[in-house]
Parts: sequence; C-alpha cells; structure tokens
Amino acid sequence: MIPFEAVSGLVGRKLPGGTFDLEHYRNWLTNDVLGSPQRGDDLAHPMFCYYAAMGGMGLSIAELFELAHSSADQGPMFGECDMEVLTPLRTGVSYDVRGEITDVKRKQGGAIGTFDLVTFRLEVVAPDGEVAGACTNSFIYPRKL
Amino acid sequence: MSAGRGTDAAATPSPPPAAGHAVQVGDDLPQRIIESVDAEKMKTMAALLGDPNTIHWDVDDVRRLGLGDRPVNQGPNNMGYVIDMLADWAGGPANFRRVKVRFLGNVFAEDRLVAGGKVTGVRPGSGGRLVDCDVWLARNGTEAVLAGTATVLLPD
Repeated sequence: MIPFEAVSGLVGRKLPGGTFDLEHYRNWLTNDVLGSPQRGDDLAHPMFCYYAAMGGMGLSIAELFELAHSSADQGPMFGECDMEVLTPLRTGVSYDVRGEITDVKRKQGGAIGTFDLVTFRLEVVAPDGEVAGACTNSFIYPRKL
Repeated sequence: MSAGRGTDAAATPSPPPAAGHAVQVGDDLPQRIIESVDAEKMKTMAALLGDPNTIHWDVDDVRRLGLGDRPVNQGPNNMGYVIDMLADWAGGPANFRRVKVRFLGNVFAEDRLVAGGKVTGVRPGSGGRLVDCDVWLARNGTEAVLAGTATVLLPD
C-alpha cells in the first residue's frame, strides 16, 4: 500500500492552473446531457463552475489520479463537492483557474477498505480578476493492500 | 431514453415563487424526475470532460469491476440534475448560488431518478432572499445516491 506520508505530503501543493474557454458548444452539449433547457443567451449552466475548474486546473483527470498515486483502473470515486457560484458564468468567456490540494485523510470504509480522501480547492477567475466561482472537491482513492 | 425533460423526464409542474411569495422553512421544492438515465449521454460527457474512467461507457469493464452490467453515470451529472431542480424553482440558473453534496452511491444507465429538496432557512440577500435547502437525489424510488445542502436566490 502506498505510504500515507506520500499522499499527505501533497497538502499545500499548488496545481498548475490554466485557462478554460467556456465555448458555446460545451454548454449546449452539457444542457443536452442533463436535459436542461437550451437558452438563447450566453448564460452557462451552473455546473460549469465545476467543469471550468476541472478543465482549467492544468491537469487531466488521469494526471490528477496519478498525482494522488492512483489511476482510473483502481476505482477512484467522487466523494464530496462544495461548489459556489459568485457570478454566473457565461459562454464565450475564458476563465483562469487556480487551485491547490488542501487536505488528505486516510480512512477505513466498509466495502472498499482503506482509502485516502484527497481534497482540493479550485477557483474560477473571470477576466476582470474577480473570482466567479469556487469548487472544493474530495476524491476517494481506494488503497489495495 | 435520455435524462432530462421532454419526452423522457418531467419536472413536477410548479412556477418559481413570485417576488414576495411566502417561502417557509419546511417547504418542499418541486421534484425533478429523470425517467431513465441514458448511457449515450454518459459517453458525451466522458468526451467533454476527458474522463478516462471506463465505467461510464465500457460495460465489460463495469462487469470486471463487479459493478453490474450497466454503465455508471458521472457523479457531476447527478449533481447537475439537483442543480436544475433548484434553478427551475428559483427562476433560472442565474439564481443558483451554492451546493455542497456527498456522493453516496452509483447511478446506472436506465435508472429512474428523483431530485428533491426542502427549505431549511430563508435570509436576506443582495437583490432578494437567499433560501437554504437540504437536497437529495434518489435512485429507483428510495436509495439516496446524493445528499447535501444548497442555496439559491429568490429575486425581489
């Protein structure tokens, strides 16, 4: 099993960050997936606070798993999400994203056994420099013996 | 069938609370019902997110992992159904403010989902009333697959 110290040492690690272009087609397809109404204006689905954060954090999901010493085939799961929209996101806008790993806990779960709960916070920053939204996500990484 | 409204899903008809309309602690939010989660939509979202997790599209892998024989929906999709339920009630997506949820279980293709909520607090906010709610998503009648809290703005 991966030593806990190897994971807990990630706390405070800044993520590379980057930008997320909230293109119209992404919003249209997301609305289609969720069954949300297609709008005639540039107001994006609120879930783009999460999608922009994850899409602009500077790591792919596979790389995020790798950073936590895991991979998709080890069955990582989405544990918790705290998403706050301060200013509604709009299509046609490029958002900057910044973030860091804020917490790591090792726990025991009934079905999955030992797992690490890795929490990271991402901020979605509008072109005027104001934070438009923030996501604090916790991913569950099962640790096999 | 697809997740969402139209021919495949239906939100309980209920207009958003009008300005000044009484909203009280304990009020139930109009439910949003997804009659059948569509596996094809999971593929679209996997491509949009660059999500490498095969459980969203490869049934053989779902079986190999002992998760059954239907693709597993993306967790953010499940959150999205709850947000749409909130936005419908609050008068549109611009009035959504916050959601904090725990993912309690998997949603599978063809599952029937019900998103619901209950008002837990009403307080003044900029431009209206901020309404705090408990929210949840239930699978196939009873199993809670997502639960948490949320806040929306009801404009003046």
